[in-house]
Amino acid sequence: MYKQWSVDLNADAKLMWKQSESSLQPNGEKTSPISVILVSSGSRGNKLLFRYPFQRVSENTSSATSKQRSPYALNTSGDSIEDQDGDSREQTPLTDEQLVAGFSDIILATILATKSDMCGKKFELKIDNVRFVGHPTLLQPPHTIQANADASVINCMHNLSRRIAIALQHEERRCQYLTREAKLMLAVQDEVTTMTETDGTPQSPFRQILPKCKLARDLKEAYDSLCTTGVVRLHINNWLEVSFCLPHKIHRVGGKHIPPEALERSLKAIRPYHALLLLDNEKALLAQLPLDCSPALVRLIKTCSAVKNLQQLAQDADLALLQVFQIAAHLVYWGKAIIIYPLCENNVYMLSPHANICIYSPLAEQFGLQFPGHDLPSMLAKFSLPVSLSEFRNPLDAPVHEAQLIQMVVWMLQRRLLFQLHTYVCLLVPPVEEEPGLREEEPPLVTRVTGRSLSTPSALSFGSPTSSDDMTLTSPSMDNSSAELQTGGDSPLNKRMTETLLASLTEHERQAILRVPAAQNPEDLRLFARLLHYFRGHHHLEEIMYNENMRRSQLKTLFDKFRSVLVITNHEDPIISLFQSPPD
Amino acid sequence: MGSYRRIDCIFFSEFHPTLGPKITYQVTYIRHEFFYVYIITKPELQNKLITVTAMEKKLIGCPVCIEHKKYSRNALLFNLGLVCDARTKTCALEPIVKKLSGYLTTLELESGFISNEESKQKLLPILSTLLEELNVTGACTLPIDDSNTIHLKLIEQRKDPLVVQEYDVPVFTKNKDHFIKSQWDLTTQQILPFVDGYRHIQKISAEADVELNLVRIAVQNLLYYEVVTLVSIFQYSNVYCTTPKVQNLIDKKCLQEECIHYVSKLGQRTNLRDVFQLYCGLTPGTTVRDLCSRYSHQLQRVDERKLIQFGLMKGLIRRLQKYPVKVVRDERSRPPRLYTGCHSYDEICCKTGMSYKELDERLENDPNIVVCWK
Repeated sequence: MYKQWSVDLNADAKLMWKQSESSLQPNGEKTSPISVILVSSGSRGNKLLFRYPFQRVSENTSSATSKQRSPYALNTSGDSIEDQDGDSREQTPLTDEQLVAGFSDIILATILATKSDMCGKKFELKIDNVRFVGHPTLLQPPHTIQANADASVINCMHNLSRRIAIALQHEERRCQYLTREAKLMLAVQDEVTTMTETDGTPQSPFRQILPKCKLARDLKEAYDSLCTTGVVRLHINNWLEVSFCLPHKIHRVGGKHIPPEALERSLKAIRPYHALLLLDNEKALLAQLPLDCSPALVRLIKTCSAVKNLQQLAQDADLALLQVFQIAAHLVYWGKAIIIYPLCENNVYMLSPHANICIYSPLAEQFGLQFPGHDLPSMLAKFSLPVSLSEFRNPLDAPVHEAQLIQMVVWMLQRRLLFQLHTYVCLLVPPVEEEPGLREEEPPLVTRVTGRSLSTPSALSFGSPTSSDDMTLTSPSMDNSSAELQTGGDSPLNKRMTETLLASLTEHERQAILRVPAAQNPEDLRLFARLLHYFRGHHHLEEIMYNENMRRSQLKTLFDKFRSVLVITNHEDPIISLFQSPPD
Repeated sequence: MGSYRRIDCIFFSEFHPTLGPKITYQVTYIRHEFFYVYIITKPELQNKLITVTAMEKKLIGCPVCIEHKKYSRNALLFNLGLVCDARTKTCALEPIVKKLSGYLTTLELESGFISNEESKQKLLPILSTLLEELNVTGACTLPIDDSNTIHLKLIEQRKDPLVVQEYDVPVFTKNKDHFIKSQWDLTTQQILPFVDGYRHIQKISAEADVELNLVRIAVQNLLYYEVVTLVSIFQYSNVYCTTPKVQNLIDKKCLQEECIHYVSKLGQRTNLRDVFQLYCGLTPGTTVRDLCSRYSHQLQRVDERKLIQFGLMKGLIRRLQKYPVKVVRDERSRPPRLYTGCHSYDEICCKTGMSYKELDERLENDPNIVVCWK
């Protein structure tokens, strides 16, 4: 989509992006602007100050030779963005020039310069295949700036235009920056017009503006950045920094973009037992940070590791947990990191369905360079069946070799070739008409998680000394947090607690649970009742371990004892699976 | 029709020779001063569909200019537009506006409908009817005069459908019997008896005696209207695994009912626990055959083929496909064509005519080939 920017001076300032409805190039051009335009409106009428890319002067607007695409043409981008009018079709492509050329400078000035009543509110205009999004901003008081938009891409563009507007407003108040730049632009335009009149050669005034006018160069840079990386970093008047990223460009997963709302939802669901995995190496990442960035961010980047959960990270980096969450979310949003479960022996990984396993893929080449003597497809084949990290490593191997295997796993995780499987438990009692006694013995629990019960403290040779299995909030005591249940045995207090916990179930469910042989043991029953609320299939084993301060073996034993009323399955964590599909 | 397409106002605007742009008729009131420049426009913008979003409203119009000496100022400028709430999904309304502007243009050229003050008055009741009927039923048929009738219908815009491969299996999302066959084209009618949720495209083409590409296009059409969805070929040697969506079976009562109804054998009724256990019994490394032997009790009342079908259709499970990759090769041999990691067993067998077993045997003995499942 094209969006158009325009800035009105004196009476109003308006920033707009111009976008077209058609997707011309594959993969993501729907998220790139086609044009940046600056328009002013004031006492002396409407003027187009600047536009980029420049219009070709000798334009030929005849016969829009748009190739008709077959309605069944392969949609390689797989992009299912709906524009905010609900239109998600692939449009017949017109070239940039035809679309942009369709609008002369004068008409742009007229249609984009809005009255002051429209300022401070969202403004948008769609003409056939071209969409203009406006953000009128008053430069004189009252300063009302609002951004609201429909589609999330427009939202983001709007955000950017608002930020630039704020910066411009600030500089205007401080030193009339915008007025000066506008004067320059108009002056150059006048010059060029005069020149054209005298010697007859048509020229684009905007080309001349660029070298003379910093604001024009900034707008050009914003446009260029948005079209390529999706990351914009400007210094308005060489003073105020405006930075922005278009998540739609950064977070493209398997050909589809991750909507920012989904991203935000996932980020809100991060837990202290998750870990932050940087997608770049530490040095490269630090080099990209601005000079005045927060020291907390730097510390965090230096301290984070694939084996450390966020809580540990907070301790090691000497930061509050909340701060760590925020910085982590920030890094993820900017495409610099993803959220995983910290690496540990018992983690089970499997090949991601989105992984590119082609021998000709650039990933295969990179892998071969990074790990000479190994090839990616062979390595990936090992993860065809879920395999735990401990199985993947061979303890008889030399430690160097072991360390390399871990590095390979990290490499594959960074490129989202693997995802982790977790165990989920669900309470489902046999139906009413069946007598459990008449049924054959239930088949053994098909849990893929390996049989290792206690993980040894020094699980991973290159990382931290403890494995995630030993990660607990407080001391790893077996006594649980609820003080009331500390007294063992069949005390009336305990019995009542158990009854209360089981009260949320139906009578049938309760009976079925009590019929399980293990229910005769009050300890086991108590534990079961206490964990009941996790047995809805939404909490995985590691989460229960973390919340309840329990060991893996304890839980697995409990599940086994009560298997006639539980069903267990393994799959990826839907909360962080968003981050586990590969980028383009 | 859904309220999200609700039209708040329909207006008719024209350029009065002395008064300038004005809204001649409007059904329900809107503030229009701000929009004039987009309603009665400069020549460059004429005959273009213009959507303006401002002040929390969306205005869709198509300005028309008819040039003729007989008009004062030698041109007649008008615009019939709609106004909706800014959040409305309006793309279905755009063809309506364009069509209306076309109708009015025709009427004016044929009989001076608009320039004649008397006939122009008919516009007001016309606008009222349009507003009412489009909002309520999404369609409107309106006679204007003896020879002209307006036919309008709001058409839902849908996503472009996926490409259909020869090894894909189309399965009806709704009951096949609810289908009115005569509404569909001949090709579709011809292949319909063979769309049983088990036959793949290549097989349908062979058995229905319809050319492969025609079958693909017909099925793609059915996909577009969400009448069918695509699943993979069923074999007892297939491997599946659960997705996080399998928990929907626990969370959503209506899905439970639908599932039990769908997968139960004729005359029988299974229960949620059995079904859920079966789905959870599908794991990497487990074939459907394995499942049948391990869970024979649960399968007494469940049709395993329907179980898999339902699971795939609702995204509760996914198929793990095998991809052979030739990893070691000497410089002299040809580069692999099919064993690149891009083509699944399904695809290779379909293209080459080999059976899975044959392909397995061929590849098992080749030390240079690894197999990835995903």
